[in-house]
Amino acid sequence: MTETMAGWLAHNSTSIIIWCAALCTFAIYSVLYAENRFFRLFEHIYIGLASGYGVYITWSEILGPKWWIPMIYKGQWYWMFAAVAGSMFYFMYSNRHVWISRIIFGFFMGVTAGGMFRGFYEVYFPQIGSSMKPLAPGGHWGWGTVSAVVFYALMFSAMTYFFFSFEHKHPVVATTAKAGRWFLMIGFGAIFGATVMGRLTLLIGRLNFLINTWAPQAESDTRRIWLALVAVATWPRFLWLRVSLAVLAALLVVLLVIYFRRRQDLKQKATGTQD
Amino acid sequence: MDILIKLQKIDRRVIYALVIVVLMVPLLLQPKGHPKLVTPEVHHAFDVIDSVPKDKMVILSSFWGPSTESENGPQTAALMRHMLMKGIRFGIVSWDQAGSQITYNIGKSLEQELHRRYGVRYGVDWVHFGYKLQNEAALRGIGTDLPTTMEREKEGKLVSTLPVMRGIKDFHNIGAVVEITASGTLEGTMTYTTQPNGLKLLYCPTAVMSVEAYRYLDSGQVKGMLNSAVGAAQYETLIGMSNVTTQASVTTWTLSTAHIFIIVLILLGNLGYFASKKAARRQGGEASND
Repeated sequence: MTETMAGWLAHNSTSIIIWCAALCTFAIYSVLYAENRFFRLFEHIYIGLASGYGVYITWSEILGPKWWIPMIYKGQWYWMFAAVAGSMFYFMYSNRHVWISRIIFGFFMGVTAGGMFRGFYEVYFPQIGSSMKPLAPGGHWGWGTVSAVVFYALMFSAMTYFFFSFEHKHPVVATTAKAGRWFLMIGFGAIFGATVMGRLTLLIGRLNFLINTWAPQAESDTRRIWLALVAVATWPRFLWLRVSLAVLAALLVVLLVIYFRRRQDLKQKATGTQD
Repeated sequence: MDILIKLQKIDRRVIYALVIVVLMVPLLLQPKGHPKLVTPEVHHAFDVIDSVPKDKMVILSSFWGPSTESENGPQTAALMRHMLMKGIRFGIVSWDQAGSQITYNIGKSLEQELHRRYGVRYGVDWVHFGYKLQNEAALRGIGTDLPTTMEREKEGKLVSTLPVMRGIKDFHNIGAVVEITASGTLEGTMTYTTQPNGLKLLYCPTAVMSVEAYRYLDSGQVKGMLNSAVGAAQYETLIGMSNVTTQASVTTWTLSTAHIFIIVLILLGNLGYFASKKAARRQGGEASND
């Protein structure tokens, strides 16, 4: 029976994956109608799966081959110091030994700060240089000049808006800062427009999957399911399956009855305490 | 006037339903056409990849997962297709655990599609380095010693033994680095991989991040950009896919339809807002007359 089940799963794996994906999509998007338990259930399933998968991949592709195997099987014993350093983080949960975690936190803060300094040099310095645009690029006055003038106007007005060393009282400074605020708003508008585009693209991806992958699969599967149901209901070979399904259905009914009775009892108790 | 005022009070669920209906039309029709207009940043990205010599490799640095597959998937597919068709060797490294399998699947399906015509093979024309933990050492290692840094590829083989890695050692053998990402990882790649080694960097962000990337294009730190699925569709136009239905082309058509619909909704919403304001003013005037 195990072999039959495994064979059936292997044969229908694509179909099962597509149905699961469709079910998850419907469940997650059901929140658009209203907050509901179906959504909550799938949200938790998704978080659990993502965490579990993350742990597995971290072990199988990072910790296993890069740390555990060299340390245990290849005699590179010095990797054990990585475990010592890593475990130092957990002392943050102890009031008495919290100082141990501070050592490792301090170390990583220092490393990150150093990296950030280098990042600032590599990322922002070239931009300061490129901000000094020639008004006549290549010795030609034309669209390049217009582009440079627009660039300077936007840059200086935006910088003036963020200049807080003195109050923007002078009309020239106040007008420039106000213009800078407007330009920033236009920039934020462009970012928001791009955000809408991004979110719609994600929705389109799921709809495309539902329409062009799941719907054709569902059509063929529905036919197969009907045929299978007829076979299960009529063929003598599937007697064991009919009996198993009947037992399962009976168990489910019993569980539901217990659940609803308990719920009623709890409700009655709650009303009793209120009275 | 009353209709305009009523439009202000439409249940949000009705609007969601309408958006879905509008989106479904192009998805059902599956239009073939790609965008005719190709933006300069996509052109530049195409030129950079197209000019990579045969003895060099392109590194696809992929930091995205299932949640942004609709945006980053078409970008990855368009770039891979171009390189497989042109015979440019590439290696893809995934910094995202789940994204590793998705990018591998994209490469494998393209390999199947293009194998007969171009004879492309895994390990010879392209390689997937699998999931790697992104940190300073890994990013630096791409430029200093690629085979040692990547060590093993997705299927567990030693990277240095693969034909695709023949003659590939460090940044001298890398033609370009492409950052395909859904997170703020560009600065890291720029700081540790491309800028110190003078490598060309291309950027494939999600739409949300694209606006802020223009400063890097302006300064020349980024040589080209594919903005979300729209950028991917434009790239496909350049590689001669303009008459083929792809995920990028369908997404672009659907996006355009959705944008028109949203603009109509914004206009109607604003008309309703001004109509209700006018009605309120009129009611106020009548009340004061009474």
